[in-house]
Parts: sequence; structure tokens; C-alpha cells
Amino acid sequence: MRAALRVFAAEGLKQHRRIFGSKLVVFSMLLWPVLTLATTYYTVLPVTEAPGAAERWPLVAQPGRLLAFLAAGALAYTFFFSLVQSAWHFSWERISGTLEAMFLTPASRMALVLANGSSALVQNAWLFGCFGLAAAVATGTLHLAHPGMLAVAALALLVPAVAWGAFLNSLLMFSRDSAFLYTLLDDPLWFIAGVRLPLFALPVWIKAIGLVFPLTTSLVVLRGALLDGKDVGDLAGHLTFLAVLSAVLLGATALLLRVGERHAQRTGSLQLF
Amino acid sequence: MATALPTLRRNWLVTMRAYQWTYFVGTLATGILTVGLAYLAFHAIGGGRAGGGFAAAAGTADYLGYVTVGAAASMFTVRMVLWVAKAQITEQREGTLESQVLAPARRLPYLVGVGLQALTTTVVEVVVMLAFAIMIGVRLPAPDPVTLLAAFVAASVAVFGISVPLSAIMISVGEAHITQNTLFVAMGLLCGFTFPPAYLPDPLRWLGEALPVTSALRALRAATLDHAPLSVAAPDLLLCLALGLAYLAVGLRLLGPAERIAIQRGGSA
Repeated sequence: MRAALRVFAAEGLKQHRRIFGSKLVVFSMLLWPVLTLATTYYTVLPVTEAPGAAERWPLVAQPGRLLAFLAAGALAYTFFFSLVQSAWHFSWERISGTLEAMFLTPASRMALVLANGSSALVQNAWLFGCFGLAAAVATGTLHLAHPGMLAVAALALLVPAVAWGAFLNSLLMFSRDSAFLYTLLDDPLWFIAGVRLPLFALPVWIKAIGLVFPLTTSLVVLRGALLDGKDVGDLAGHLTFLAVLSAVLLGATALLLRVGERHAQRTGSLQLF
Repeated sequence: MATALPTLRRNWLVTMRAYQWTYFVGTLATGILTVGLAYLAFHAIGGGRAGGGFAAAAGTADYLGYVTVGAAASMFTVRMVLWVAKAQITEQREGTLESQVLAPARRLPYLVGVGLQALTTTVVEVVVMLAFAIMIGVRLPAPDPVTLLAAFVAASVAVFGISVPLSAIMISVGEAHITQNTLFVAMGLLCGFTFPPAYLPDPLRWLGEALPVTSALRALRAATLDHAPLSVAAPDLLLCLALGLAYLAVGLRLLGPAERIAIQRGGSA
């Protein structure tokens, strides 16, 4: 356990030195999400003004709540996307030759990928998180059942996100084309997870695929807890599903790391890029 | 031509040998998902109709057609900018910028070669996306062929024009990722790819007008959705061309000094 904590501390320091205050964070974690949010809002505005739209989706009657709905989507998406970005950075370890060095140390592999994902998440997403919360409070769209739900929402976002990040990092044991991962998980992720549309608007088969991605359920919990005043009882089903999904992702990570390391030992691929 | 055609050929070879699927899938996904989002929102929320304000602001009541043309133009813009603006920083990263400076080839034909190659690949991507749009039931009226051709040429000049100063910025600051994506998200908001710029506050609208892509989009939509004759689209076409050529002229002026900065700074980009 102490060894794992040291891995966390070291990764935390590394990510802090590498990411904190960097231009990429300010742009990719604040400016881009805010501009994209505005674009999304204006893009769906014409259909929300259509006659009868309020009967299909009551939210559209209040533009403030519609914006809050989309902003919650942008917030969760930014958190998850920051992990795609950090997995993309993890592939640089391969290029700079430190990935192989990491696997030569006796550090727990699981601790390595978890620490990498979670500390990148903290360094990346705090800015947009604070911004989102401040915006929600200032516009009065925050509607909590009780203050504790804030913690529930944060956990429902962070735990699956870290599991997701660990899973992505373990995938990179096999693939050297991290740009493809980046491409594949950028746009399709927001589409199938209901980031910019309510889930009822998606066809059943897309919803079914979306369930595999923890972002989908995290977002249901986040919107329920922060915007609709739901409590733990109302969200119990979703929270249980998220817990199971996170556990499955971590299990898959452990398996992939083991198989991946053996594969790398056989082929010597850790220093190839 | 002695520079443009070999550059075109070289870039085709690179595309065929490496990354072809990453680029293809990446561009296509963006276009298809944008149209997909509009389609689902239009049917599930709008009940197959767009609100009254849209027709007045957009000049057409055809929401899906509007977004489809915008998504196609967006794919075209992003792909062209990525190729042309990143051509020189890629040379720098691969260590060939110095050779390029030493060779007696001029920059404009080189960039035209890169642009022509991008044009040929992008046209394929846009056609696949439009086929998808038609498959899910988007109906585009028969366009006015002359206006469409003129708008396509004007849009190509516009996008090529803004790429050249961007290339100068990229090699002089030695950074591409932040520069390109900031331009893309800003254009997504300002130029009216997926919604009429009339929705925006005035200062932002004027900022959008300063980019030739905005007028190119109006001309493209006039040709495809309104069947407008050339005379109707002429003001937008001329504005787009003038702005595009102005960006191009400024960019070509900046390239020389930018190359000096890049080479003095040395290999890291």
C-alpha cells in the first residue's frame, strides 16, 4: 500500500509539473469547452423553438435550464475527455523511452495507470469544474436535494472517470497509434453519451452502445443530482450500475496490463513507436 | 507547376502509405455526427420542424439542409487548414524545413501543391458524408451548377488564404495543436456552420464576417439550398474572394520572417 502511495505521489508531482498552468490546459479545458458549448446551444436552438417542442422535452421552455443541461454535459465530457488526452500523453512516455523504464521498476502497474489518470484529471479538470460550478451558482440553475448530493455527483463523475482513464492507458500497451484513439473517442464519445442531446432523442441501439461508456451514466447522475434535485434514492439504480461498470473497467485494466506486459516482453514493443 | 505537382504527388504517396484511415475516419466522423445530432434533435425534439426564428435568420426553413451544407463545409475547411497550415511545421518536425529554404522552389506553388492534394482527398470525404446524409433522409434540392462551382472556388481560395498566415504563426511559435484547435472552435461558433450567425451578438457577428469562410458559406448555401443564380450570390463571392486573397497576401509576407524565426530557434517544434 505504501509503495502504491509513493507511485501516486510521484505521478502527482510529475503531472503537476508537466500540466499545471500550461497553455494547453487553459485552452483545452476552458476556452474550447466554453466555445463549443455556445455552438451547441445555438445549433439546437432552432429545434427547441419549434411548435410543440416543450411537450416533447419540457426543459426547452426555459432557456436557462436548457443551457444548464448542455453545460452539465460539457462539464462531464471535459472530465472524461481530459483522460483521453492524458492517455494520449501517456503514449509520449513510449516515445521518450520512459514507458519501458516504468515497467522495469517493481511499481504496481495498476497503481501506475490509476495514478497517471487521476492526477492528470485533477491537474486538467479543476479549472473547468470550478468554472462550471460558479456559473451554475451564479445563474441559479443549481437545484440540489441536499448539499451532500454535490459530493455524490462529484464521486459519480470522478470514480468512473479514473477507471476509464486507467482502462485507456492499459489499451495503449498494445496500440502505438494513439492518434487514432484520440480521434475515435473525441466526437463519437459526445454523440453516444447524450452530452448534447437528451437520451430519449437517441435511437435504442445508440443508447445500448452508450451504456458501455461510463460517461453516459455519470451524466445521468450528474444532471439528476445537480439540476433536477434528485437524491440518492432516486438515482440508486444508476449509481449501482456505475459502480459495477467501474469495477468491470478496472478488472479489464488489470487483465490488459498483465497480458500487455507479457506481450511487450515477448516482442520488445515498449520502445517502439 | 514544377513545384506544385511533385508536392501533390509526394503528399498522395504519404497519405496512401501512412495514416490514411486515421485521417479519413476522423474527418468523416465529425461531419456525420454533426448531421446526426441535427437529425435526431430535429425529429425527436422539434417534431420535424424548426422554430419560426430560424427561417428568418437563416434565409431557409430547411434546417437539416442548412446543417448538412454547413457540416460539409466544416469538414472541407478543417481538412484543408490542417493540411496547408501544418505543411511547413510538419517539414520542420521532420527536419526538412532547412532543405526547403535552401531549394530554389517558391512557397506559393509548394503550398498550392499541398492544397490540391488536400482538395482531392477532402472531396472524397465530403461525398461520403453527403451520401450518409441522403441515406438518413436529408433532401438537398438540385443546386445551381454555375453558382455552386463559383462558390466552391471562392471557398477554396478563402480556406487556402487563412491557412497561409496560420502556417506562419505555427512555425514561428513552434506549436500547432493549440493554434489549430482554437481556430476550429472559434470558426465553429463565428462562421455559421451549424446555425445562422444572426443568432450571435453583434460584435461576434462582425468578427465572423472578418473570416472569409462566413461569406463562402452564404454563397454555398445560396447555390445549394436556394438555387440562386450567380448574380444573386455575387456580393458574397466577391467578399469571400477579396478577404481570402488579403489573408493570402498577408500570409505570404509573413512566411519569410516566420521561417527565419523557426530556423534560428532550431529543431524543436
